[in-house]
Amino acid sequence: MAGPIDPRLLHRARATVPFLVALCVTGVVTAVLVLCQAWLLARAISSVFATHRTDGLTTWCALLAAVFCGRAVTSWATEWLSHRAAAAVKSQLRGDLLRARLVRPTDSTVPSGTLITLVTTGLDALDGFYAKYLPQLVLACIVPVILAVAIGLQDLTSVIIIAVTIPLIPVFMALIGWRTEAAMARRFRVQTRLANHFADLMAGLPTLQVFGRARAQLKGLRRTEGANRSETMRTLRISFMSSFVLELLATLSVALVAVTIGFRVAAGGMDLRTSLFILILAPEVYLPVREVGARYHDSADGMAAAEAAFSVIERSQTPVGASAPAPPLRRSPRLLPPPRLLPHPPCRPLSPPPAPSPPRATPPWSSRTSPSAIREPALPPCPGSVSGSNPARRWPWPDTPGPARRRPWTACSASFPPDSGRILVGGVDLTGAGQDTWRAWRRRLAYVPQNPGLLRGSIAGNLLLGHPQATPAQLRDALDRCGGRSLALDKEVDDDAEGLSAGERRRVALARALLRVEEGGAGMLVLDEPTAGLDEATESTVLRTVRDLGASVLVVSHRRQVLESADRIVTLAAATTATGEATR
Amino acid sequence: MLLGDVDKGKRLFGLAILLSACASGASVALMGVAGWLLSRAAEMPPVLYLEAAAVGVRFFGISRGVFRYAERLVGHDLALRMQSALRMRVYGRLSGTTLLGRRHGDLLMRVTADVEAVLDLVVRVVVPACAASLVIIGTTALIGRFSVGSAAVLLGSALLAGVVMPWLTRRVSLSADRAVTPLRGELADRTRELTMAAPDLVALGAEEGALQRVLDVDARLRDAERRAARVRGLATGGQVLAAGVAVIGALLIGGRAVADGTMGGRILAVLVLTPLALHEVFASFTSSAQTFTRATGALQRVVEVLDAPPVGSGDSTKAQVDGVHVRAEDPPSLHIEGLAIGWPGHDPVLTGLDLDVAPGERVAVVGPSGIGKTTLAATVMGLIPEISGTVATTGRVRYLAQDAHVFATTIAENVKIGDRDATDPEVAGALAHAGLEMPLDRLVGEDGATLSGGEAQRLAMARVLAHHVTRPSPPATSHAPAVPFPLPRRSGQNSLPAPGSHRCSFSTSPPNTWTPRPRPC
Repeated sequence: MAGPIDPRLLHRARATVPFLVALCVTGVVTAVLVLCQAWLLARAISSVFATHRTDGLTTWCALLAAVFCGRAVTSWATEWLSHRAAAAVKSQLRGDLLRARLVRPTDSTVPSGTLITLVTTGLDALDGFYAKYLPQLVLACIVPVILAVAIGLQDLTSVIIIAVTIPLIPVFMALIGWRTEAAMARRFRVQTRLANHFADLMAGLPTLQVFGRARAQLKGLRRTEGANRSETMRTLRISFMSSFVLELLATLSVALVAVTIGFRVAAGGMDLRTSLFILILAPEVYLPVREVGARYHDSADGMAAAEAAFSVIERSQTPVGASAPAPPLRRSPRLLPPPRLLPHPPCRPLSPPPAPSPPRATPPWSSRTSPSAIREPALPPCPGSVSGSNPARRWPWPDTPGPARRRPWTACSASFPPDSGRILVGGVDLTGAGQDTWRAWRRRLAYVPQNPGLLRGSIAGNLLLGHPQATPAQLRDALDRCGGRSLALDKEVDDDAEGLSAGERRRVALARALLRVEEGGAGMLVLDEPTAGLDEATESTVLRTVRDLGASVLVVSHRRQVLESADRIVTLAAATTATGEATR
Repeated sequence: MLLGDVDKGKRLFGLAILLSACASGASVALMGVAGWLLSRAAEMPPVLYLEAAAVGVRFFGISRGVFRYAERLVGHDLALRMQSALRMRVYGRLSGTTLLGRRHGDLLMRVTADVEAVLDLVVRVVVPACAASLVIIGTTALIGRFSVGSAAVLLGSALLAGVVMPWLTRRVSLSADRAVTPLRGELADRTRELTMAAPDLVALGAEEGALQRVLDVDARLRDAERRAARVRGLATGGQVLAAGVAVIGALLIGGRAVADGTMGGRILAVLVLTPLALHEVFASFTSSAQTFTRATGALQRVVEVLDAPPVGSGDSTKAQVDGVHVRAEDPPSLHIEGLAIGWPGHDPVLTGLDLDVAPGERVAVVGPSGIGKTTLAATVMGLIPEISGTVATTGRVRYLAQDAHVFATTIAENVKIGDRDATDPEVAGALAHAGLEMPLDRLVGEDGATLSGGEAQRLAMARVLAHHVTRPSPPATSHAPAVPFPLPRRSGQNSLPAPGSHRCSFSTSPPNTWTPRPRPC
């Protein structure tokens, strides 16, 4: 059962070592208190039994009350410490996960939904690991020994029974776990697929209704639910088996001990006090081991969540450009990203190779950017930076939709490593470059993705992301020039940019990019379908604004107007075809 | 309520409680009988007298594990059945209410998660609570035969540990939970926002500030959880004290009774050891109380969905050939006269609409958002009733949504949603028309994860074009499905090619543009 613990989890545990140690100490104190309780009870019962008098009973009771008070305190401390032990690690992992996403913003191997589940409920499963399982694992090694020694001092036969049966528990559970692990993993996968069926149907309900097919799915749903239930039950029958063995062995051993000492008392080989002491302690010896078994399932969820988290975090630590194979994920039906059924369509390198910034057309940096503004690592001064002598170029890339088309820009903005080839900026190779180089490059880049992301807050707040020092007048002006005359700066943007239409969102994002170029000194503008969802008049306004910027513009588009306003058009074809260029 | 939906539900429920009670009872009985065995043995009777008790101890030792295993299986089976039943109810309910054009995203996702609370409620709360009550009653009755006073103390302490403490936990932690739940929601929202806007944030160099926003929520969540943990700790401490009261009470009362000679000495061990084992049963009750709070909250939201009055009819009656509303041989057309539209129970959005669409004609409906374009579509498709005026359609009416859902199944199955009778060649034809070349049996991932936005849009397009031909060679036009609106507006618009077919030519300047006017007010 208790499989090897992920060393990365133990490494993280360092942050909470004081709490974990405190938890173990509390556990040991509890064990000692239980020992006292058993001794006092045995003593009190046997004395009353033998003498039929209540002499000293009140003293025993007072002492017992003190012991119970002590146990109340330790159980309170255990709850509190458990929470503290897990909380620190959870927060740390949350931060790391989100940072990992920001390092690879368009990494599609981990869908947003999976990441959200992981950050919220997924990591909560770590409570089970850090707060319960890990301390319990330590206690399972200490407490039985303390109690067994206490019993052994009174009676050797009982301690032999215990010593023989206790190791049986992990052995049997390991055997069961080992026999059933593969089958369980397979069943979990089937079960997850079946379970997701309902979520999929619910999400697609409006679509089904439009085609008049919603009610017809009820029959299919009933069938899937039935299949889901029987599959789940089959998994549970096996997974409950281990706790069955655990309970059976533990209680049966207690019964064995009880019957054995019972007959020995009857034969005069043991007094009542000792036998009661052993009887009360016997279940407590098995308790920590049983707890480990019971917590194992909690911890398995936590470990699976942690594994998923680590794989996301580690992917982000390999430099952009270097291939980053995701470590294989185990277990966790819920937290795994859905299996990639097919690889991305093949993405051929752009040709001629060092694209999309071939040396002969290195984008001219805006002359307003002083090269000294960029430190560590310094990018070379911008060639051809004098506007006028080297007019800014615009390259729209119309092409078939799909990941292949999106790749050049995302590569450009460092979200997606290219398969091969290089991205050169002023002679500096960005592929494989460190985060600092990318950050320096991004400072000179303004990017508007096809579906711009906005944060909750006001429109002004979103615009300020482009250039935090911009004045309200500058914000207003930028928004106006992007066709957003009707949008108030203080208009609130909800989650998922609710409250703004797709076109309005794009206008805000464009204005943001505009500020970044004009006020922030970015020299290169990358636009992905910037005018989708805009009417023709607004589209003209936007295109005029972009042309007037004087910055280099790389734009992906299918729109006639956009193509017409470009200096050059680069057509990307899937697979083998090379770049076709048409100079206007 | 749900038990009625489940086949043999009540019997399973009773069985689960009985098995659970037997399992808990066995561990209590084990301690009680073992205590008696030792005390009796101390009187040194012939071994024969001990045999019955020894067999009892062994029996309880074995049966506890067996009962627990059976109980968990029966309980989970029942809970899963109830979960299924609830899902069917929710699905049945929501499929009968028109969702098009309403804000449904969060509702649908939430209901999916909320339904799962039934499992927790049954397995972790209801069954253990009922079983524990049975065990308490049984144990109290048995102890009462020996010592009424001791039984009273036992009952009192059991109520304290099993009812009062969990209830207090629930009351006190309710405020903490009330703080935690919205914070969790906010954490999810902020995470979602961060992941969605990640490319922008990184490109803008604003990622640190945005990350800090999320981490702030995390810190507040941590504080709220710390408060909840403290309350939980107090409750578990209280339970230990209650166990102490029961044990010490039994010892005092039993000791006096033995000294008075009103009770046999061998019963004393039973009186003292039984509460010790009984109180183990309550150990999980404080966390059950918190589970109860969470689960009932989730189920309350589900009930709200179930109780909401339905809007419109749910399924469009005009999308599939059924021989009644839609006949295969009719050419597609649309005739609207004096139409007033609006959502049921609300004021009309638009009135006095007149429009005719002839077979093969393309009409664009344009207007600012909120004017009622989607409402018009829903009315034409028969999803919501018209307020006044007439809508007459012939042939099938199809709808291409800009955010059409892609189901996690094969390409072919996704296309066949458009026409369940379509054959494989017809599906392939529709895909080719939509400009999507993909093997029919290719699986698309969850929510179309393996498709690009454009590909998903084309797949949705193919769904609209899918169409089963019943007669050998009908004139092509007569079966062309009408695709009234909307033209995909958002991002997808430019990714869609314009297939050279008369069936679906999209262009930015359609031949006929028709602008609905808002009603004068």
